[in-house]
Amino acid sequence: MLTLKPTSDFYSRALLEYDRVFSGDGAPRPFADLRRRGRDAFEALGIPTKRDEEWKHTDIRKAFPSDVSFFDPVALRITLDDVASHSIPGLDGRTIVVVNGVFEPSLSELDGLGEIVITSLRASADAHPELMQAHFGRYAEVGENSFVALNSAFDLDGVFLYVPDGVIVEQPIRILHVIDADKEVIVQSRHLFVFGQNSQARVIETHHARTGSVNSFGNHVTEIVVGRDAVIDHYRVEDEGDNAAQVNTTQVYQQDRSVFSTTTFTFASGLVRNNVNVVVDGEHCESSLNGLYIARGDQHVDNRTLVDHAKPGCNSNELYKGIIYDRATGVFNGKVLVRRAAQQTNAYQQSQGVVLSDDADHYSKPELEIFADDVKCSHGSTTGEIDLDALFYCRTRGISFEDARALLLYAFAHDVVKRVKLEPLRDWLNARIDERLD
Amino acid sequence: MPTYTEHDFFEDVAEEGYKYGFVTDVAYEKAPKGLSEDTVRYISAQKSEPDWLLENRLKAYHQFMKMLEEGGLPSWAHLRMPEIDFQDAYYFAAPGKKAKYDSIDDVPQEILDDFARLGIPLGEQAALAGVAVDAVMDSVSIATTFKEELEKHGVIFCSFSDAVENHPDLVQKYMGSVVPYTDNLFAALNSAVFSDGSFCYIPPGVRCPMELSTYFRINEANTGQFERTLLICDEGGYVSYMEGCTAPMRDENQLHAAIVEIIAHKDAEVKYSTVQNWYPGNAEGVGGIFNFVTKRGLCEGARSKITWTQLETGSAITWKYPSCILKGDYSVGEFYSVAFTKDYQQADTGTKMIHLGKNTRSTIISKGISAGHSDNSYRGLVRVNKKATGARNFSQCDSLLIGDQCGAHTFPYIEIHNSTAKVEHEATTSKIGEDQMFYCRQRGISEQDALNLIVNGYAKEILAQLPMEFAVEAQKLLSVQLEGSVG
Repeated sequence: MLTLKPTSDFYSRALLEYDRVFSGDGAPRPFADLRRRGRDAFEALGIPTKRDEEWKHTDIRKAFPSDVSFFDPVALRITLDDVASHSIPGLDGRTIVVVNGVFEPSLSELDGLGEIVITSLRASADAHPELMQAHFGRYAEVGENSFVALNSAFDLDGVFLYVPDGVIVEQPIRILHVIDADKEVIVQSRHLFVFGQNSQARVIETHHARTGSVNSFGNHVTEIVVGRDAVIDHYRVEDEGDNAAQVNTTQVYQQDRSVFSTTTFTFASGLVRNNVNVVVDGEHCESSLNGLYIARGDQHVDNRTLVDHAKPGCNSNELYKGIIYDRATGVFNGKVLVRRAAQQTNAYQQSQGVVLSDDADHYSKPELEIFADDVKCSHGSTTGEIDLDALFYCRTRGISFEDARALLLYAFAHDVVKRVKLEPLRDWLNARIDERLD
Repeated sequence: MPTYTEHDFFEDVAEEGYKYGFVTDVAYEKAPKGLSEDTVRYISAQKSEPDWLLENRLKAYHQFMKMLEEGGLPSWAHLRMPEIDFQDAYYFAAPGKKAKYDSIDDVPQEILDDFARLGIPLGEQAALAGVAVDAVMDSVSIATTFKEELEKHGVIFCSFSDAVENHPDLVQKYMGSVVPYTDNLFAALNSAVFSDGSFCYIPPGVRCPMELSTYFRINEANTGQFERTLLICDEGGYVSYMEGCTAPMRDENQLHAAIVEIIAHKDAEVKYSTVQNWYPGNAEGVGGIFNFVTKRGLCEGARSKITWTQLETGSAITWKYPSCILKGDYSVGEFYSVAFTKDYQQADTGTKMIHLGKNTRSTIISKGISAGHSDNSYRGLVRVNKKATGARNFSQCDSLLIGDQCGAHTFPYIEIHNSTAKVEHEATTSKIGEDQMFYCRQRGISEQDALNLIVNGYAKEILAQLPMEFAVEAQKLLSVQLEGSVG
């Protein structure tokens, strides 16, 4: 079992387990330096407790599996039919499949890629050493974040996506993450998306699990580089079931005049912690971070965002909404940092929570840290119940309490959904939201 | 002959800087340097305290040492702070070799002069001002005016030591009930070594006939000031209480760790106003007071109300969160704050509103103004507990930046455990509007006056909450502080 100081115990067992699973599989180990830093950092940081300010409302240790065992890469059971069952009706574009943190070419649609590169991270180490050298592990902070450190401590696999300069990817790229296990499992994955200058792309990542009543714990790190003048849309949908816990870190690096938007939807899940960090290191960029979480039962959803404005003349916009039922907990912690050089920054942030039961909890902490004077920054945060007047209006028109409540919550959620630019995805999400609100 | 230009004016102002920075020359009775059980016993013996109080002090002392060992200063605040050596300070200093004054005639003339220079009426002028004042220099309460007048109404307003002697039952009952000595490091320190302070009791149904005021002054070098204020407003009572503070200019940092406890019973209303103007250090950030104060009010009974209003312009570091615990049903908590920082000042201040009772309401309006190289943070907690149905909160935190070397930060914590709560929070950060500035300038208003006008307008909402006498002083203080902030 994990003790209060889980570092040595968990970590040494994890290392043994890792070596058991991966030793002798002949995988290249190009990331030796990062691995060493990751191991040092994790040993120093340990697993965070509620005494850490960043983890004040989320006790991640209780989600940690008692048995440390990594997925065994030989036993692939997911079939193309399984993949098809997760398809988004009406959505064109290729689907890339990642099973238990490992890129699966046999299930992925990889024909006709042209200049685009989609491969496993390990393979790209040999095939694209200069890109890996320039970007891999450069953005996610190993020294400050336990889970990035833990992630970096192992040679992980995942998706490497490269869109060269000036390439416009017409069809969205769907990345399907599936966890498939019969016993408690820890899945870690690592992804790197590099978007060249003037490129355009849309990436949809969805997370599913086929673990039934078995606990799983995911620790995923994605680094995204948005080149000059690139326009990138990113979506993440988390729907793994009540027994799945995950810490998901998305680290974005934006260059001059780039436009980046990401939207995170959290549905069925056990404990979820999303870290979305955007470093705006270019002038005249636009960043948009959105999220919707609908938590029921004993779910715990923690969204943490950081927009780090390092250069002048940028806009950022944030909208997070949460609906909390039953005994569930919702946490939103959004930080906007405007550095001294980042004059003429406009940063706007809005977070709203609806608490539907007295056993439900909602914590909201919108932060502004401003060091430049010629800026316009604001945030708003509201938490409360459904508007009773609106509810009354519906009731006087003969709509049942349940239907009226669902209707109003649907409208509440729609503010986030309408920011999704792909219609088939929007329809698919709306259907799922309907189910969650019933 | 050269004329007196605007530039000269600013230079004069800069030189004048902190006009309360003089030192009063009187003999001092000090406790031995450093903190130990003996220091605590010495302070207690000096004040001929009863045994129960000494015991409380010793418990707090051991708690402090334990907390210091376990973690020392908490690290969550947005502050850069030098290591504080708690052994390198005097914990008790009484002017005039006497720990207590029996009447105003015993007070050394130098001290009376000092307070006169500060504009604090202690002698005959008091009668004209019409405000009851309790003046505290370093560790000792100097004089309390209007005692008899207040006694007629049954109001008790005296120094803390007097209260321990004359009203031990009240002190014993309420002291530490809102801020226990285990609360935080500085509360433990204060509970162990507190010297004096003010005590106020408003009996049931009495509306206090005048404003009550405490004036704190640190005079002696290298001492900390640790006073306690205990304010009890019984059923249906009302009181408006003001607090002001200054200190001489010195190169070293001095520690001010006070505790203010307020208890409002059923239907009682307490208005607590602070104009904090401790010495902020010089323009290079050397010296100044560390103002680490624990202030908390308990709305004990139904329909009680506590209002905190503060104007924070002084101190090298301000680190305080005047809070309200809304325990009684329908109780109301309010917090109005203007925090101004310049040069190398730092402030991490805000409030906590803890909703426990039903249909409780709270309002938070905070205005931060940062200039120079200063850092100004708002940090506030709004918590609605499970049983607090119908709770309502509105918070607004605005920050204004003057110059491009300063920082303004907002850290609100919103924790909701009840489905009927309605909590709203808004924050904005911006610089002084160029269009507003331009409008004033084209009408012939100097840049400095325009700045004054805009900032005073920005802070007006808060300053209007201050009692009349204070509001005027506060506006002037803000103007003086703003001088030299443009350009």
